[in-house]
Amino acid sequence: MVGKGLLEGMRVTLKAFFSKKETLQYPEIKLTMPERFRGGELELDNQKCIACGLCARACPNHVIELTTGTDEQKKRHLTSYIYHSGLCLYCNYCIEACPTNAICWDKNYENARFFKDELDVDCLAIAKQKSATIVDAAPADQPNAEQEDALNKEGER
Amino acid sequence: MQEITGLFKIAEILRAILGRFLSDPQLVDICMSLINIGSIFTIISLTAVVLVYAERKVSAFMQRRSGPNRVGPGGTLQTVADMVKLMAKEDIMPAGADKWMWMLAPILLFIPAAAVFVVFPFDNKAIFADLNIGVFYFIAMSSQSVLPFLMAGWASNNKYSLVGGMRTVAQMLSYEVPMVLSILGIVMLAGSMRMSTIVAAQQHTWFILLQPIAFVVYVITATAEINRAPFDLVEGESEIVAGPFTEYTGMRWALFFLAEYANLLAVSVIATTLFLGGWNGPWLPGWVWFFLKVGGMVFLFMWFRWTFPRLRIDQLMSFGWKVLLPLALLNIIVTGIGMYIYEFFS
Amino acid sequence: MLKTETFTLNMGPQHPSTHGVLQVVLELDGETVVQAIPNMGYLHRGIEKLAESRTYAQFIPYTDRLDYVSSMGNNLGYCQTVEKMMDIKVPERAEYLRIIMTELNRIASHLIFMGSLAIDLGASTGMMFGFRSRERILDLFDMVCGARQTYTYIRFGGVSADIPSEFIPALERFLTDFPAMLDEYHRLLTGNEILYHRLKNTGVISAQRAVEIGLTGPALRASGVDYDIRKVEPYGIYDRFDFSVPLGQVGDCWDRYTIRMEEMKQSAGIVAQALSQMPEGTVMASVPKVVKPPAGEVYHSIENPRGELGYYIVSNGGTNPYRLHVRRPSFINLQVLNEACQGLLIGDVVAILATLDSLMGEVDC
Repeated sequence: MVGKGLLEGMRVTLKAFFSKKETLQYPEIKLTMPERFRGGELELDNQKCIACGLCARACPNHVIELTTGTDEQKKRHLTSYIYHSGLCLYCNYCIEACPTNAICWDKNYENARFFKDELDVDCLAIAKQKSATIVDAAPADQPNAEQEDALNKEGER
Repeated sequence: MQEITGLFKIAEILRAILGRFLSDPQLVDICMSLINIGSIFTIISLTAVVLVYAERKVSAFMQRRSGPNRVGPGGTLQTVADMVKLMAKEDIMPAGADKWMWMLAPILLFIPAAAVFVVFPFDNKAIFADLNIGVFYFIAMSSQSVLPFLMAGWASNNKYSLVGGMRTVAQMLSYEVPMVLSILGIVMLAGSMRMSTIVAAQQHTWFILLQPIAFVVYVITATAEINRAPFDLVEGESEIVAGPFTEYTGMRWALFFLAEYANLLAVSVIATTLFLGGWNGPWLPGWVWFFLKVGGMVFLFMWFRWTFPRLRIDQLMSFGWKVLLPLALLNIIVTGIGMYIYEFFS
Repeated sequence: MLKTETFTLNMGPQHPSTHGVLQVVLELDGETVVQAIPNMGYLHRGIEKLAESRTYAQFIPYTDRLDYVSSMGNNLGYCQTVEKMMDIKVPERAEYLRIIMTELNRIASHLIFMGSLAIDLGASTGMMFGFRSRERILDLFDMVCGARQTYTYIRFGGVSADIPSEFIPALERFLTDFPAMLDEYHRLLTGNEILYHRLKNTGVISAQRAVEIGLTGPALRASGVDYDIRKVEPYGIYDRFDFSVPLGQVGDCWDRYTIRMEEMKQSAGIVAQALSQMPEGTVMASVPKVVKPPAGEVYHSIENPRGELGYYIVSNGGTNPYRLHVRRPSFINLQVLNEACQGLLIGDVVAILATLDSLMGEVDC
């Protein structure tokens, strides 16, 4: 019968009309990103970084710009680490290339910016700032420092 | 309580109050006319606000989304916010447009959409002008909206608009005929073109039961008349961008929108009046019944829109002339024969 | 003297239904299409040229950006081409994972096709439904490789990571739900008389013409030519699976639509088979850190959702490809547009564009 398909379609939409909504109200409810989520900005751990530059070399799009220097003990260290997130392909190659797991994604997917130069992230400055706050917070946190000492001693043994 | 729930009773109370302040009964009449006109315009502009919100909610629910829910409680003020935005928008006129025609088109489209509200019986006796040719007046007025569409399409100096304008003329003219013929069956049964008489004739049996084919034909043609999916070829977003509205911005575009929703309300009101027994109904006051039925019809039209794909122009024309027109004619013949048989036996 | 004239209508590059930045220059006689010339290049990024300045491995993320709704297939085609050059043997488990991912991606891609066809024909609810179901597949991909669209999951010698433990239950849930979803679409769209009449007998491409132009994929099979690389030249381990290749008779829009709907069902079947047969083991073969294929050239093609996706690589023994060319099915399928549209109406152009399912990311490589 002509029109049967039309009525069937109307039944589908009517059923959808009364069924549960599938959307989330975004700013209030946020999805948790999966463990392997690639997105956001690079997070650098400058303690772990050995300044080998493999990440920059693995990158297909020259997203990571780093300079290195040597300190008194002839040990190489980072002097700057700029991540141009506007160029990033989010391919994960840099993280896979890192021998010491010094970089990871911060998994913040809300990375819209108002200005283009805000897309260039100075990861080293952020990392230094972060470790500075941790060092500041550490003395107040006595038990933790003790634990760390204990761990260090164990490590020495 | 029953007495003052009717709209007409409210009008009488108003009239009595006015009578106390104004000595001349003619002045009272003029005041009442102004109040009536004001309430019609209020209804139209409220309609647009409410129906746009309703449409967005209906579409969202049918697609399992929540729809607008940010501005105001439950998003109810979203349309108001949109209106404010539209009013604040820059008024851009395309280069090479026919200035006067282009500016007049949205206004001219709005006039017939508003004028048809004169003959709508919202409740028992609550009708602005109970013309003896009420149905005829509605058809005559609503067919006026063809011209502004063509004007807008031509004057915009845009090929998409022109194609859209041409489509409107073809579509609205060819769907007018079966629509009129489907309404004719009702006029034959009621023996009058007066809206109040037609509603009164449905006190016991709604005409949808006596004229089911006419109702189907009416709903289809009405959808085409108000250019809604599946007959929205005029706008046909994926084909001709927005048809005649392509070049309009801000308030001018909003007027098109307003007229569109006023027309949606108008055809729903006509369907309610002619087929669903108008204000007739038990327990509740007449106007509540009336708006419930109108709301049901509006939902039906929205339901169509969010379910069906669009027809193609040649299919649209052949469907109108080869299917709906014969069906409507057949309906008239059957109605005529049926009336004779009925009279013969009773 | 009365005479009629044709007029030119530029459909695109900004138009609601050209699926990206395609410009179709329509020559119209009223509503009838006299000519429909696709004008391409608005999304050209020079990806083939970019390949010459990237190492072989570094080019994988760029393949994601060709046909960006079926990136798994692009990854697979490229990786298999390089593996062919270097003679790398891929572990069994990785082969199965590749099949599962590409077939899931085929479903996702066809869901987009269905959704965009629905909205081009004015049924926006169909689009919402299609995209909603696609989200389920994207969630699965997100779980496996952390990206929803540009996966870079398939690598030389295997896949980038083994599946997490929660993947298989989620995939099984999807496979059990999928028939019901498909049924919903059939009831909403396939059964709809308006859709049928819009698509039936519009944009007919004869089998002979389809072969002459070089159509591949569903657009070719709709014309009744039984050519599916998964069957004709089984790459990977496709010869181990039992599936049928749906064929059309007329080569009209309706056939192109129904074939894709049927292919989704077949793909779900392949995924289920692969899931039950999948062995344990490693997912990555030992591949040299610096990929240096021997000098020479190789062409390899796979069946992507849109047709035959081929990679042609010339190597001079260095770390970068000397020349890389991608045979993009969307680009070649789009060439039939003018012939298919002639004599039809504006509304049909939209339907034909949607059923050819050309993706601009791939057309303008």
